[in-house]
Amino acid sequence: MLELLQRGIKTTLQDGGRPGFRHVGIPASGAADKLSFALANWMVGNVWDAPALECAMGGQHFRFHKDTIIALAGAEMWAQINGQNVENFTAFPVKAGDILTLSMARAGCRTYLAVSGGFKDGETFLGSIATYLPAKLGGIEGQALSTGVTLGYNECEDKRQKIPKGYTPKLSRHAVLRARPGPEFDSLTRDSQRHLFISPFFATGATDRMGSRLKGNHIALETPKSMISSPILPGTLQVPPDGGTILSLSDAHCTGGYPRALQVIRADRWLLGQIAPGMAVSFQRCFADDAPIILKRKNAFYADLIDGFSF
Amino acid sequence: MSMTIKPYGDDAILMSMNLDSYNDAVCRGVQSMAVSLRQAGTWDDVVSGYDSILVTFNPTKHTTNAAQELMASQLKAANQSPAVTGKTVEIPVYYGGEDGPDMGVICKSSGLSQDEVIRLHNERDYLVCMMGFIPGFTFLSEANPLLHHPRHDVPRASVAAGSVGIAGWQTGIYGLESPGGWQIIGRTPLMIFDKSRDVPFLLEAGDTVKFVPSETGGA
Repeated sequence: MLELLQRGIKTTLQDGGRPGFRHVGIPASGAADKLSFALANWMVGNVWDAPALECAMGGQHFRFHKDTIIALAGAEMWAQINGQNVENFTAFPVKAGDILTLSMARAGCRTYLAVSGGFKDGETFLGSIATYLPAKLGGIEGQALSTGVTLGYNECEDKRQKIPKGYTPKLSRHAVLRARPGPEFDSLTRDSQRHLFISPFFATGATDRMGSRLKGNHIALETPKSMISSPILPGTLQVPPDGGTILSLSDAHCTGGYPRALQVIRADRWLLGQIAPGMAVSFQRCFADDAPIILKRKNAFYADLIDGFSF
Repeated sequence: MSMTIKPYGDDAILMSMNLDSYNDAVCRGVQSMAVSLRQAGTWDDVVSGYDSILVTFNPTKHTTNAAQELMASQLKAANQSPAVTGKTVEIPVYYGGEDGPDMGVICKSSGLSQDEVIRLHNERDYLVCMMGFIPGFTFLSEANPLLHHPRHDVPRASVAAGSVGIAGWQTGIYGLESPGGWQIIGRTPLMIFDKSRDVPFLLEAGDTVKFVPSETGGA
């Protein structure tokens, strides 16, 4: 079993999520950065969506009580086993008694810890063990893991795989997201429309799996209008009346009441999970004809490596 | 008022009736269309709001143009067939007292007695217009205009699960305990969302809610 010696900033059990229930108010949840999560599972020979630990922001310390093979993928967190450096985006064996420490994230926000054979624990709800904190769904009693918690893992075989060149995301302190104008984009002032695509925003401390409040240039409507609450998706950038912006992430509300300025394209939404407080976030205008081509090529590239995975 | 159907990002299409304020006929039509769209089985998600429906799809299966045309034709077909209605659910409510801490506020602003407020609140059948922002939160159709009241300026840190409230022209039910700014006039002992139940969701958009006053507080 795996023992959490220090819970770090936030640690949750996640899988591929529970899509298809937004009409009853349940977001898909699951790994916020599906790409790093899938790579972590792939490196230890698991199916891409096997349950893994999502370690947000860093600070987690673990002790392994049984030999196994693990993989780390995601944010740069200076990982060490018993004080010896281990590389991000690699898989390696650990022995009973080994201690894994993750330092605070230097680039990106979330690192995934996968164990060969997968974790045994976790409550299933609507076919997924993904932890959704606001309604206490999935995971271990629907909560973030606390210090002292132990998780069982299955017997493993050494099925380690090394990620070939070109597949590892290069995370930095600046997330650049391609986006399409949202339904209310045309109602924004000219300056706001321009600022959205040319100036960087910064993620504030109000950043979690639901969303990230960004600060930057004042974004406003040409004429204020009261919105009737309407559906939103992960990757929707909303504009509340204070002129700030809110970027929805994987646990976002299913509906919102603010104008929707932008929608991040599907191929780039995995990167939303790597936005940490203080990081710069920029939006690049993506043309309507380009988005499906980008997605198709990216899907085809990763499908060669990870069975069943798509963005 | 006019219907628009437009792409939303690269994997969703948004239909909007572009309302400025609540319109009962339009909202009922939207819910009926959403139920039909869900039954069509074409879409990954069919999320309805008061005056809009968002459908999501996999862009490697449909082009945006094809999805837009498909949604338009499904909406047209839904509009031409009889309205689809959801189930009707009776919701018992303990009005006032500890269960409805803002009952006094509504009595004062409406100039009505508590009994009159209760009568006006449950004489209407309400349409479930939207679920979420959190699981179980039920956004209902317009309350009697005499009961309209703005939200609290400062939201409460915690509103009990099952609380029935008023926000502007809306009335609704808190499915889970959560922070919230609605004026709470009562509470139902029914769990709108219960993850341990075989059917976790008591209500879906398109259903009809009948509030039934209950005698004694259950808190």
